Amino acid sequence: MLKLFLWLRYLRKRKIVFLSIAAVAVSVALLIVVASLFTGFISAFEHAAVEAIGDVVLSPPMRFAKYPLLIERLEQTEAVEAATAMMLAPGLLHVGAGTGNVRPVEVWGIEPGRRAKVTEFKRFLLKQKDAPGEPVFDVPGASEKTGGFVGIGVLAEPNEQTDEYDPTIAEKMIGQQVVLTTGTASETKEGDGARPELKRRVMSFTIVDVLQTGVYQFDEASVYLPIEKLHKTLYPNEESPTAGQILIKLTSNTDPDAALAVIRGVWRSFVEEHLQSDPDLMYRTVIGTAKEMQRPYVAAYRKQMGILLVIFGVVSIGVILLVFCIFYMIVRLKQKDIAIIKSCGATSRSVAFIFVGFGACVGAVGSGAGVILGYIITRNINTIENWIRIIFGLKLWRSSVYLFSKIPNQVDWFWAGRIILLAVAAAAIGTLIPALVAARTKPVEILRYE
Amino acid sequence: MFDVFRAMYKIILPIRYLVKRRITYFAVISVCLCVFIVLVVMTVMAGLVDEFKQKNHQFAGDCVVGTKSLVGFAYYQEFVELLEKTDFVEAVSAAIKSHALISRMDSDRKTRVEIMGIDPAKHGRATGFGQSLHYHKDDVARAFEPGYEPNLPSCVLGIDLELQRDAGSTYTYQTNPSRIGYSISCLPLTAKGALAQAGTDMVDTKTFYYSDNSRTGLPRVDGSLVYLPFEQAQQLCMAGSVKRANAIYVKFKPYVRLEEGCAKVASLWESFRQKKSGEEQAYLLETVTVQSWKGYRRESIAPMEQEQTVMSVMFGFVAITTVFIVMVVFYMIISHKSKDIGILKSVGVSNFDVIELFSGFAFLVGLAGSGLGLLGGWVFLVEINQIEKWLFERFGFQLWDRTIYAIGDIPNRVELKVVVAILLSAIVACLVGALVPSWQAARQRPAAILQVNQL
Repeated sequence: MLKLFLWLRYLRKRKIVFLSIAAVAVSVALLIVVASLFTGFISAFEHAAVEAIGDVVLSPPMRFAKYPLLIERLEQTEAVEAATAMMLAPGLLHVGAGTGNVRPVEVWGIEPGRRAKVTEFKRFLLKQKDAPGEPVFDVPGASEKTGGFVGIGVLAEPNEQTDEYDPTIAEKMIGQQVVLTTGTASETKEGDGARPELKRRVMSFTIVDVLQTGVYQFDEASVYLPIEKLHKTLYPNEESPTAGQILIKLTSNTDPDAALAVIRGVWRSFVEEHLQSDPDLMYRTVIGTAKEMQRPYVAAYRKQMGILLVIFGVVSIGVILLVFCIFYMIVRLKQKDIAIIKSCGATSRSVAFIFVGFGACVGAVGSGAGVILGYIITRNINTIENWIRIIFGLKLWRSSVYLFSKIPNQVDWFWAGRIILLAVAAAAIGTLIPALVAARTKPVEILRYE
Repeated sequence: MFDVFRAMYKIILPIRYLVKRRITYFAVISVCLCVFIVLVVMTVMAGLVDEFKQKNHQFAGDCVVGTKSLVGFAYYQEFVELLEKTDFVEAVSAAIKSHALISRMDSDRKTRVEIMGIDPAKHGRATGFGQSLHYHKDDVARAFEPGYEPNLPSCVLGIDLELQRDAGSTYTYQTNPSRIGYSISCLPLTAKGALAQAGTDMVDTKTFYYSDNSRTGLPRVDGSLVYLPFEQAQQLCMAGSVKRANAIYVKFKPYVRLEEGCAKVASLWESFRQKKSGEEQAYLLETVTVQSWKGYRRESIAPMEQEQTVMSVMFGFVAITTVFIVMVVFYMIISHKSKDIGILKSVGVSNFDVIELFSGFAFLVGLAGSGLGLLGGWVFLVEINQIEKWLFERFGFQLWDRTIYAIGDIPNRVELKVVVAILLSAIVACLVGALVPSWQAARQRPAAILQVNQL
């Protein structure tokens, strides 16, 4: 009770203590915002990979045939919920006759229905996201034509000020015919023997939908076409369809390592039975989770986060100094109080504990305020960024630089907890020396009448 | 006599408080810590930004007359001749720019690239192209003549298209370039922006042989740009009888200021455009802009500059704790020095003089703290690359993974303007922190302080 009484009294009477609370709050808020933004970005980065290519990717060193059989076998296992084939090819897209608008694109040959089961594909389509059933490439009123989806950034530039796309510009392109040039390597005979040469392949298709994922690199350079049509364009002399990769969605609560082992087993037996046990396919096929594929980049981001937290943490050592100064001042000014308490029988340890405990309370109260401040800033970071843009004309976050159109704004409570503990400990450490000085106070010397 | 006394106590007392009052050391340490961190971070960031800007300047020359449209613009040769006749232009280089697919002859892997068709000698004079080469650094004019067979049509690849960077940010080169063919395919466009008809005599896929690497230090350029001979790029990308180009790179003479030079080029272009307004393809000149290298490369440079600004603002918030610490320390000191203040005021020292005294003390604290912080920061920066090298050899830790980030050594050149800015900011922060306690000290009444029961 005495401790609580003294803490409240010092808090009321010594208003300078609020300064230390404010300093703790500012430091904690800053560290929470930095940690949350970074972990949010890393999480969004990993999630974007899973959204784009599923949980697991099977990437052989070359195209392979009979992929429908492989997909069937994979889906028969308990670990796999759905699988779909994919073929990738670089291309050049000529958008709009007479405009000279040629964009370099990445062409994804897909099975749209299956892909929607493996990834979040359907919700990114502007026209078909709310339509019942699976997404389709059908061209309305022209079933013989090839339809395709195009990333919104291929058709329009984001607004210079707001960095947002105007979907109406992209939607105007729906129904337009565009021309895609891609290529394959084919052997040509030359004087000194056959050499593979890039053979240009051209196909036209009708834009039936526009994709907006919120991830810049996908939105600005992706074209999606039916895998069979793409295959026929690239390899017109091949009868059976081939795929370049298989994207896999795992069943929920499946252990990824166990699932990978199952998938590897299915792949091995498939190659042995149907692909003549090709050693390249057997041993050079990479089967890994989408998160694993992003690991080098995620490690680099985590390192940057750590360095930034260390930098701000070092500066926050100033908070320890501030708490020390304030409490030292309180101890010096309240020597009579301390002497009276000790003369009533309080031990040195309990006197020291009063101040250490008070310091920890200051740290706790400051951290609490800092958490609230950090939470408000993090959750409203996009609004704050917009205000900065409107007031100062400064666009801080651009999707072309930071990959995503919106700043991730989830508070990382794990890091917030760590920061709070550190702040409380730092505040308590700051009070150690003043507490020691208070504990060593001699009542006789202080209370002597002079 | 009193004036001498006034001058003396304003010097002696602050020094005495700085030396004798140990609590002052905490304020000095706090200022020192903040200044150290700010100096190190700002120097590294400023160094990275400056390096990046320098690389962009080397890549783009001083001024670029160009269009974003892949169709390009006509009559560029005449404008080039005009520019070459002026007295403020050192060198001019026209360029073709387009997108292409490239496939290495011994692989079926295809990649999207950007191609730039240039005359290597001219481009080397107008930009830093020559310095970016490896095998033809000393003979830029022969950049497209591979040593193994100079007459083969050849290309210069962005270094990251051909080689891998190691953890030390270095590339391993062969003594001579290997004879590797690359099949490059483009979309030839007419002056109307339409695709050239298939089956015409337009060459749209051609084989070029590897002649050299270009290392600009700009990741997006090094990872996706392929240089081709100008005429061959024109054949690949531009259909039609009237020759077109996409950009003209200009280098000014050394004494010409950038803004002045760009303004002259813009004026020259405007009169050229008006002179050509009756021509067949004059409409293509409408999309052409004249920009300095800063404007031309703004998309790349602006984000880095913004990050620097944001970092400065964040450190500004953090520096607020320094102000708080100084405020508290001064509050404590003034509380203990009320007798001194009472005596000073009773001998005629004014309120303003008391504020001046403690402001001088705050100035000394700021000076001492920032002096120590700047010294420590400078020493750390001098050794920063050695420290990182030791950490990498010992623990495998690198501040920036060089296989991912295109950075060489960590920039560590301390700029005088950064030092001055930090020093002044630290001193101002201390002065602000001492303001309220100084004001309170000045308002104290000697009679109240020097009463017997107060002493």
